[in-house]
Parts: sequence; structure tokens; C-alpha cells
Amino acid sequence: MKTRYKIIFSLIIITALIFTASAYSDNAKLKPEAKGRLCLKCHETFSEKLKSAYVHTPVKNGECTGCHDPHTSSYGKLLSADSSNICISCHKEILPDKAQSSHKIVVDGNCMKCHDSHSSNNRFILLKAGNELCLDCHKDIGESLKTVRFKHKPAEDNRGCINCHNPHASAKYGSLLKKDIPALCIECHRTDNASFQARHSGYPVAGSQCTSCHNSHGSNKAAIVFENVHAPVAEKKCNKCHNEPSSKSPFATSKAGIELCRDCHKDKIAELLDKNNVHWPMLDKAACLNCHNPHASKGKNLVAAATSNVCGKCHSDTVELQERSKNNPKNTSLCKPVREGSCTACHDPHASDYSLLAPLPSMSFNVCDKCHEWRAHSSSHPIGEKTKDPRNKNLIVDCLSCHKACGTANMPRMTHFKNISEGCTQCHKELEGR
Amino acid sequence: MQKTFIRILVAITVFLLPLKAFSAEAVRLMPVMSVYSDDKGEGLKLPEGVACTDRSLFIVADTGNGRLLRYALENNALKTAGTEIKLPQMTSPVRVNMNSKGEILALDSRQRRIVHISPEGEFKGYVEPASLPALSQYVPNGFDIDANDNIYILDILSERVLVLNSAGEYQKQIDLPKDHGFFSDIAVDFRGNILLVDSVKAMVYSNVKDRENFSPLTEGLKEKMRFPANLTTDRRGRIYLTDRNGSQIIVLSQEGNFLGRLSGMGWKEGLLNYPSQICINSEFVFVADTNNSRVQIFSLVK
Repeated sequence: MKTRYKIIFSLIIITALIFTASAYSDNAKLKPEAKGRLCLKCHETFSEKLKSAYVHTPVKNGECTGCHDPHTSSYGKLLSADSSNICISCHKEILPDKAQSSHKIVVDGNCMKCHDSHSSNNRFILLKAGNELCLDCHKDIGESLKTVRFKHKPAEDNRGCINCHNPHASAKYGSLLKKDIPALCIECHRTDNASFQARHSGYPVAGSQCTSCHNSHGSNKAAIVFENVHAPVAEKKCNKCHNEPSSKSPFATSKAGIELCRDCHKDKIAELLDKNNVHWPMLDKAACLNCHNPHASKGKNLVAAATSNVCGKCHSDTVELQERSKNNPKNTSLCKPVREGSCTACHDPHASDYSLLAPLPSMSFNVCDKCHEWRAHSSSHPIGEKTKDPRNKNLIVDCLSCHKACGTANMPRMTHFKNISEGCTQCHKELEGR
Repeated sequence: MQKTFIRILVAITVFLLPLKAFSAEAVRLMPVMSVYSDDKGEGLKLPEGVACTDRSLFIVADTGNGRLLRYALENNALKTAGTEIKLPQMTSPVRVNMNSKGEILALDSRQRRIVHISPEGEFKGYVEPASLPALSQYVPNGFDIDANDNIYILDILSERVLVLNSAGEYQKQIDLPKDHGFFSDIAVDFRGNILLVDSVKAMVYSNVKDRENFSPLTEGLKEKMRFPANLTTDRRGRIYLTDRNGSQIIVLSQEGNFLGRLSGMGWKEGLLNYPSQICINSEFVFVADTNNSRVQIFSLVK
């Protein structure tokens, strides 16, 4: 019984204390300028910023405390939260839940790479106006916009990229697009006239993926068609692969999978299918189209995108590993193919008689050897086909005994090990603990 | 007061103990032995397949050497050490299974056909069912055999699972789920449910026996594994996936819940490097430890 009284008494005391604290807080009046205007007394140069054409609302309202803690902070610039989270705490709508595509810098919370958090003379307090800002990072597109012969107007006008793309995220569409293709294209391009029909050989393409043939950023080919065009498309012989345009299903193909491509690429496909290991996607329903665009492409051999993007569609884990390896300061001697995401430098994307789709018999002694003089290693450490791996009698000491060719993220020198001694003691047990 | 407190504690403990017992059982692997060579001492080379029976027999698809090897275990030791089965009709076996008669079926990656081999190691033909619904041809990327010797083939060309009877005759087909990544393997559990592993999405799909569709058994498990490429089940329906790029084994409950990961990347016995097919019998777990050019045999410790 005594305990019950003690608990009730303690509860009364706690409640009283909370009420007192609350009352005190209400009474602790701050100076009227304390939320921000007071700050300008010391931060004099800041008053210039306030003269900019566009000022961030909390700044305009003199509420520096909207983002900064005036006393102490665990974050740089006395921010009241981590810089990668502070913007999203007010601008939640920027990143819709389960967005179909999102801009990496937004996801990473690097808002300040595009916006000035205080003020700017550009709309949306952007650091630069128009395309200039986007092209700072997307240099390849910038270069192409400058040099291509046939330009796409929306990519170049004042609004530039944001004519078609949402700079933060797209809830429903890929590539940060504002609308799906072709809906976005049809906003400007009429599809119901005879000339449009004629240029597409009578095929009802109004509902198709325009970007399957056209480069929306411009091209050196007329009609901004991608620079590498599949011969039947260039010759306007769509019916080589598709049904006739007047048929019930004009876009259906006459054969399935690799059989369709085999009609023209007979010898190449026969050669590939005669290997021990065929890259399995070549044999599924989509077959060659898993990696190649059948109409036109920016890349050589009609590869649908940059190599690491194409391979990364399925092997995202390996591409992520490459990315993490690139960002690892310990990996000063990262292999060029890893650095450039050039998977095909070491793997045959179609088929191979050898393990890991290596184009040559040994990944180490033939493939690594294309760039590295691995024999030089043997002066300091035995390596080669005659050197047995002491850990396993079926293995020899080769490049992959210590290194991982696709990158190892946090490990130095593309090795499997945290440090050199961990690597050495794999085999040299006598060195353990020294 | 103190008595009341103790009573409450006892009640909570009594309530929680059975919960713990019913929860995901922790599964651990204990290395029993590793198989490195055939009966003549020739080393295994990049084996990708292994099949086992409860009669302590196991077959290795010694892929790099283009052959199968037959072993028998007795008292945790090899009774028969790697008798070679080498056939001109099978040059690159990557997956292997056995039926109840001891016949061997092996998937050859070069021909993309399933080779039928007698228990004595003689070529009996290919698994090529007549009267398949369109398409008449198929590309097998994995297969399994159930307790009644029915054969389940993952056909990546027509995006379906073909079900054949023990004589290799077509019974039915089940369409693969839409919007998938890439299916790498198929398994049939003790209840006759068909399981598929999508390596790209790191997902398992199931077809409950006699239903017409596959449905996701798990969500994408990319955070738990890198590139699961093969799967099998044990007698309790638990699912074992070999994570090829992650060099580990992932265990899921029969409901698809993540139970844990076993082994890891390495060269020492007990560790794996690019594992492929996995087989479980009543006593052991056999793993084709491909890039370590060996087959590892573990016992399950609960």
C-alpha cells in the first residue's frame, strides 16, 4: 500500500514540474528579432543577399532559426539538422514515395549543388539559370547539344531540360520525365498528318516509344534519329522484322527471340551459340533486345545505353560495387575498366567457352594480361600456372587469388582484404599475429 | 509487491519461450568434408552442379572438365571416390538431378538440352517432350525432379515452367510471372510447390501445388543478397539460395521469411567462392563451390 502512495505522490510532483517548466517557457520572452534579424547585426554582408531577386522564404521572413541553431549544433554552419536532411524536412513533396525515377543529388540531399539556400537572382534560388546548371554535371549532353547538327528546340530554349524533365523526381515515369513517351512528344508534334504517316512507312507509331529511334537531345542525323541506325530501319524496311503496317498487329514480329535476329545475323549467332557458356539472356524471349536497341542507338553496335547501364539492368550489385570502389579513396590504383564501367573489357557479353564469360582461357593470365604485366609480380611473389595455391590444391596463384577484378568497394588496391597483412596471412600462417 | 513482480516475470517467460521455439530456427552449417578430385586423383574444375539422394550417393557436374562424377558417402567418409561419366552428348554439364531410379538428368549449357543418363552412366537420350504447346522448342535454364519423378523445367524462351511426367511426356505448363527480372533456377518442395528464383530482383516466387499461377513468396531481397542463382529446399520446406556474387547461402522459411545467411566469401574449407547448385538430403548439404573448384559437404546444425 505504501508503494502505491509513493507512486501517486511521484506522479503529482512530475506533473507539477512539467507545468512549471511549461509556464516558464511561455514567460521566457525572446527579443522580437531573435529568430533572425538579430543575426544580421554580426553577419553584415548578409544584407546584400537579401537584395537578390529571389530569397528563400525563411530568410525573407527573418527566420534564420528555421535552419540554424543560434547556440550550438552538431552539424556544420550551426545547421539544426544534417545538411542532407534539412531541406526535405520542409520540402517533403520534392521526393514522392516510390518515385519511378529520382535525381541522385536530390536523394542524397545535395540540394545546395543546385540551389542557394539563402537567395539568388535566378528563379527557385538556383545557382545558375536554365540549362547551364544541369550541364555543369551532365557534360556529355552539354557537349552534344553544342555540336550536333540537328538540334531539338526544347533542349535548347530558356527553360531547357525542364521542358521535359522534372529536376527532382518523377512519380510515374523514368528518366525524370514529366510525362510518358509518346504523350510528352505529342504535346508539340502532330501525328495525324499524312507526312508523319509517310515518314514512318505507314506504321501507326503515334502510340510508340519515339525515343526508340529519335534522340531527344539532338543528333547529327536528320529527324534527330540516333546516329547508329539498324540497316532495316535506315532502309525503311520495317517489315523485315515486323508485320505489314496494315495488319491487325503491325508491331508484332515475324519470329520470336533470337530466331528473328538469326535471319540476318546467321553466322554470328551460330558462332555464339556454339560456345560452352552462352549469356542466358541471349536465349530468353527478348534475346538480343535485352541489350540492343533494334531500331537505332547512340552507342556502337546498337547497344541500348552505356555498357555499365546495360549490364547494370541485371547486375546492379556488381555495378554498385564498381561505383563504391570508385568512391573509395584507398582504391588509388583502380583498374581502368572498373573506373569506366567497361564490363566488356573483361567479359564477352554474348558467349564464351570459359568461366565468367571471359573472352580468353584465363581471366588472370590472359585477360588481366591485356593491361597488366602480371609476370612482374613473380619477382616478389610466385604467381603463374605452376604455382599451386596452398589453400586449395585445385587452385593456382593468379591475379584473382588476391584481387577482385570488378572492384572491392572498401578494400585497398582491389584486393579481397582489409589490409596487406590480412592478405598475406591467408597463406603465410607463420606471419599471423606478428 | 515483489511477489507480484516475480509472478509477472514468470508469466512473461512462460509465454515467450514457446514463441522462441516456434520462431525461425537458427540453422548453421558445419563443414564435414570437401571433395577435390576423382578416383584417379584428377582435380575438379569449376563444378557448377551437384545432386544427392538419401542413399548417400551424390553426383557432381564437373563443368570445367565436361563430365559427371559419381561419389558415395559412408560414415562421413567417401566410400566411392569420383567415378567418371563422360559422354560425347554432354560436354558442359551445369546442373544435375537424380530420380528415384538413380537415373541422372544433366543440363548441358552448350547444347541447352537435358541429357538423360542411366544409373550405369550410359546415354539414354535427351529430355525432349513431343507435342509441346507453342513454342515447340524450349530453352531450359534449370530443372528439378519431384518425389514421383515428374520433371519441372524452367523454359526461359517461352517464359513458362514445363511439367513432364516420369517418362518425359508433357503434362502441363505454367506461365512465369510478368514483370520479372531474370529467372535462374527452379525447385520443387516436398509438398509439390514449385519455387523460382529471380536473380535480378533477388525474389522467390511460388506456385502452390495445382494452382495456375506463380505469385511472389518474398519481396525483393537485394539488401540480403547480391545475385541468388540456385535454390533448393529441405524436408521442412525451408528454402536455401546460393548467392553467387555474394558467395554465401541464404536461408528462408517456407513462407519466405529471411532466416539467415550461411558461410561467406573465402578459400578455406567452410567458405565459398561463387557457389552454384546446392542439394540437401536428410543428413548433408552439398554445395558446388565453383570458383574454389570443389564440392563442399556440410551437416546442418540446429
